[in-house]
Amino acid sequence: MMETVLSIHKLTKNFGKLCAVNNLDLEVKRGQVFGMLGPNGSGKTTTLGMLMGVVNPTSGSFSWFGEQPTNLTRKKIGAVLEHPIFYPYLSGQKNLELNALIKGANPNNIPKVLELVELASRKDDKYKTYSLGMKQRLAIASALVSDPIILILDEPTNGLDPMGIAEIREIIRKIATDGKTIILASHLLDEVQKVCTHFAVLRRGELMHCGPVDEVGKGEEIVEVQAYHDDLSILLKEFIGSASIKKENGIFQVMMKDNFHSQDLNRFLFDKGIVVTHLATKKKTLEKQFLEILADASSTALK
Amino acid sequence: MLHLLKIDLKKLTSYRTFWVICGLYFLTLGFTTASGMEILKWIASKGAEFGTSININRIPLYHFPDIWQNLIWISGLFKLILSVMVVISITNEYQYRTVRQNIIDGMSRWEFILSKILTNVLLSLMSVGMILLISIITGLIYTPEIEWTYFFTGMEFFLAYFLEVFAFLSYALMLGIFIQRSGLTIVLLMLSHMIEAIIKLNLFRESLNDSIGWMKQFFPLESITNLVPLPFARYAFQEIQDHVSLIAVGIAVVWTFLFNYFAYQKLKRSDI
Repeated sequence: MMETVLSIHKLTKNFGKLCAVNNLDLEVKRGQVFGMLGPNGSGKTTTLGMLMGVVNPTSGSFSWFGEQPTNLTRKKIGAVLEHPIFYPYLSGQKNLELNALIKGANPNNIPKVLELVELASRKDDKYKTYSLGMKQRLAIASALVSDPIILILDEPTNGLDPMGIAEIREIIRKIATDGKTIILASHLLDEVQKVCTHFAVLRRGELMHCGPVDEVGKGEEIVEVQAYHDDLSILLKEFIGSASIKKENGIFQVMMKDNFHSQDLNRFLFDKGIVVTHLATKKKTLEKQFLEILADASSTALK
Repeated sequence: MLHLLKIDLKKLTSYRTFWVICGLYFLTLGFTTASGMEILKWIASKGAEFGTSININRIPLYHFPDIWQNLIWISGLFKLILSVMVVISITNEYQYRTVRQNIIDGMSRWEFILSKILTNVLLSLMSVGMILLISIITGLIYTPEIEWTYFFTGMEFFLAYFLEVFAFLSYALMLGIFIQRSGLTIVLLMLSHMIEAIIKLNLFRESLNDSIGWMKQFFPLESITNLVPLPFARYAFQEIQDHVSLIAVGIAVVWTFLFNYFAYQKLKRSDI
């Protein structure tokens, strides 16, 4: 049994009439890279704000490392919520020194984390001169400066160009291999699928789903087929293992029935004298699963 | 405690505005208090041109022990400049949202407020130290015969001065935390005395000197002003209060406590 680092119990936050987070229960265990998914306004940042002591909960409770949360527990956590926040008139280096002073961290860590996020050459420039990507990277550096056990990142790639996104993702991977527990809030599903081990889906402040990322795509299988044959669609319909067929960009997507796999389809087509040019088993993406979870939720809500 | 002060000073000491405002404050404070005699001489020389002679040596502005209350009263006028710095320091934290990040990084809300209060204490102590130094130097220069028995008479005004500056800075801090916008806070800070005067005028319109007039001393800004009474009327042969009133100190201490308490309660209850 892995050690629980965060345990949330019936956490609720109301802003006036609006219920931003509703009776949330969640557990995060040591070593997980935990993705929090949800559309904008689903309560991700509010939840993280409560966990980090800046938003006062309406009701419910949570514990870090099995203890009641205080400002001392927060010193063991590195967190960046929403946007990077720094003193614009201070240099990157000075900002990190201030973070280290507040967290009681060793300032000797600063060169190391600046190196990790590749900001060492700009450390003496004022924060306000940084590009958005550099600001995001400095935020990650500040979260790491106290060598925390847990890292909380809220939309760390928001507003970045593809190269910036790839850089941040690489940094998160590096940190995860160090065995740190990471909580990553995002609405970029691709990002979560690429780096997370577990994920939870929030919608209008309620928990819709929680589970390992590995399990996404278990169950039904989709096989992509392409071949130079005019009647391919008719043949595919004849195949007893196909549940449904869709054509996308000249490629057929065959939804397989249970216990049928790509090799069965391949053998069937080969027996018919057709040689395929493209055959691939596709796992269901997190995006698809996410949309399904949200769709299920809306339909039950309507009932 | 020192750790918290260190945190707040680290934010300020690399901030150019901080040096500009504090520089302005201490320079104008120093020059004004130190040059009173020169100003008197200038007025006298102007007066001589018009045929009226003022014997400035009969105005013991810089003589021990008069000098303490005289210089401290003048210094009290400058605290507004310092309070603008306090407002900028706290409203910046809201504007940049760094108060949020400070809490996330592991400060408690009390520690955050305390770090600001400690800076206020430091700024107040520096003001006291500066005026003490200037008073001693100019007093030694201008007092014709120093009678050491009178030297320490009226030094309790330094305690009152410390409280005066600290109370006003506490008030500025509280306003900043409630309003969170620097411009608006500074305008309100400057208008505070006027607003309070208008309220008093309406409340006590017909009873300036009768049964409820004594209540005026309980108003927050008046209580700060009452700590060091205006001394100069004594040179026009009028009675002045040449000591610190304990009631005034008591009222000001209570207000100072309340300013900081309200500031803390506001921060504690808000989502930041």
